[in-house]
Amino acid sequence: MVNKVKAFIIYFWLTVFLIVVLFPFIWMIITSLKPIGTGLTLTIIPRPPTLSNYKSVLTQYKFGRYFVNSLIVASIGALGATVLCTMAAFAFAKLEFPFKRPLFGMFLSVLMVPGLMFVVPQFAIVYRLGWINTYKAMIIPHLANVFGMFLLVQYMKTIPDELVDAARVDGANNWTIFLKLIVPLSGAMIATVFLLTFQFHWNNFLWQLIVATDEHMYTVPVGLAMFRSAHEELHTLKMAASAISILPITMIFIFAQRYFIEGILRGAIKG
Amino acid sequence: MVSRTSWQAYLFIIPFAIFFAVFLGYPFFYALYLSFHKVTDIYDAFNALKFVHLHNYIKLMKDVEFWWSILMSLLYGAITIPLSIFVSLILANLLHRTFSLVKLYRTGFFLPYLLDVFVVAIVWKFLYAHPYGIITQLLQRIGINIPPLLASPKTAMLSVAIAMTLKGCGFGMLLYLAGLQNIPRSLYEAASIDGAPPWKQLFYITLPMLKPITLFMVVTGIIGALSAFAEFYGMTGGGPIIRVGSHILGCTKVAGLYLFRNLESLKLGYAAAISFVLLIIALIISAVSAKLLRVEW
Repeated sequence: MVNKVKAFIIYFWLTVFLIVVLFPFIWMIITSLKPIGTGLTLTIIPRPPTLSNYKSVLTQYKFGRYFVNSLIVASIGALGATVLCTMAAFAFAKLEFPFKRPLFGMFLSVLMVPGLMFVVPQFAIVYRLGWINTYKAMIIPHLANVFGMFLLVQYMKTIPDELVDAARVDGANNWTIFLKLIVPLSGAMIATVFLLTFQFHWNNFLWQLIVATDEHMYTVPVGLAMFRSAHEELHTLKMAASAISILPITMIFIFAQRYFIEGILRGAIKG
Repeated sequence: MVSRTSWQAYLFIIPFAIFFAVFLGYPFFYALYLSFHKVTDIYDAFNALKFVHLHNYIKLMKDVEFWWSILMSLLYGAITIPLSIFVSLILANLLHRTFSLVKLYRTGFFLPYLLDVFVVAIVWKFLYAHPYGIITQLLQRIGINIPPLLASPKTAMLSVAIAMTLKGCGFGMLLYLAGLQNIPRSLYEAASIDGAPPWKQLFYITLPMLKPITLFMVVTGIIGALSAFAEFYGMTGGGPIIRVGSHILGCTKVAGLYLFRNLESLKLGYAAAISFVLLIIALIISAVSAKLLRVEW
């Protein structure tokens, strides 16, 4: 009996907290379904619910295009970074070579530096290369994902050296060992790094705001920033655009939750 | 035993190292270089650089608006860090048991952490809107009149901090939950046998065992607060404005915003100098808090 009361109290508080934490998003979706011009009403069930906000945001206000831009940047950025990280992590985890430790230490030192630090010089470099308003500008400066590489090194170290040695005795070279042994065995962590990098790019607002000045190159959050300054009062449209921006990460998280959680826990606890 | 030493290792590292060198290593030194220069022609900012010795840094030392922005960033950290730790600890403790819905709750609490700060800020701004936003309206119905939360000097910073704590608390929750699961049961059993009441167990076992996580939360929280930009860009734009002496200052004009405004007007040298001072401050505060938390709880 006491236990049941206790369980009820715990459920009760957890539910209250959960509603508070998720309320902004619930209200965002409700508002996005209301007819245009009624965004400030308190009705909980829109009468009648309408998808017209989504339609006009995607077509008339070009969020369809911004969405594609975000998708391109996040996918290619994540793919490129994951390949580079996995290769470098293999060398650090499974091979010996001169200057290994200082090199690794130098890479990791970047994690102590606030991200804001790099914005000014990176902008200057990208500008001088003539990359403003290109996908390159959004993707290439973030290809060296130090945190992802760190996660992979930690993970690959747990693969027994005996396996690598045995393969070597059988005549496998480093490239074969990497592709046929290490990559398959690290699949779960590689997926984690890919997803975390994808999420990083999807949310990389400040950088995209700086390097995308042409409407055709806006990503979703940049488009939202511009839309907001032009149409502050169109709440239903603003909320529809926000929902569109949040949707992909939410879907990915729901289906690949364990990869995210695994990666974040490992990064924090070992780091 | 097969030798693992191989020059081929460099082949695996080189692609990563090149991008690291060009876009993370070189920028660090380029920023240092820029911080000793001044743009003389904003239409040709990147070629019209003039060496000005320590001029940017000297100007920065006397720049009230800059120190104010640092202060606001630190204030933001001073609110969000303890608040996040507190909320995360409560959530982790509530979830630290085995019942069927744990996973579902964990998913719900953690999800907002992954979402874009700027977009979440836009949603919160809509909730906070005055006088027609839902928070104001609901409170009004039960007879509480509140000032425009994001536009009043006393509440603006706190309102942003609360919104962002609710967005980010799932991260701390996850870490503390893992930490709680790693505390050996035997510690509590031994304490119970010795007759230690639950609150003593909390202060003498649970919290000390979670200290590394708390330290991590503090250090990443400080770096995060000093880099904070999108939440303020989205919710307040740096306002509301107040007068302090002869200066007109923004109540939420944090360092990130100040840096962004300088970058926007292509004051590259000055913006680079701001970055470096920010870095130094972040390193000092992180080192000090690491020391403090290590010595005693």
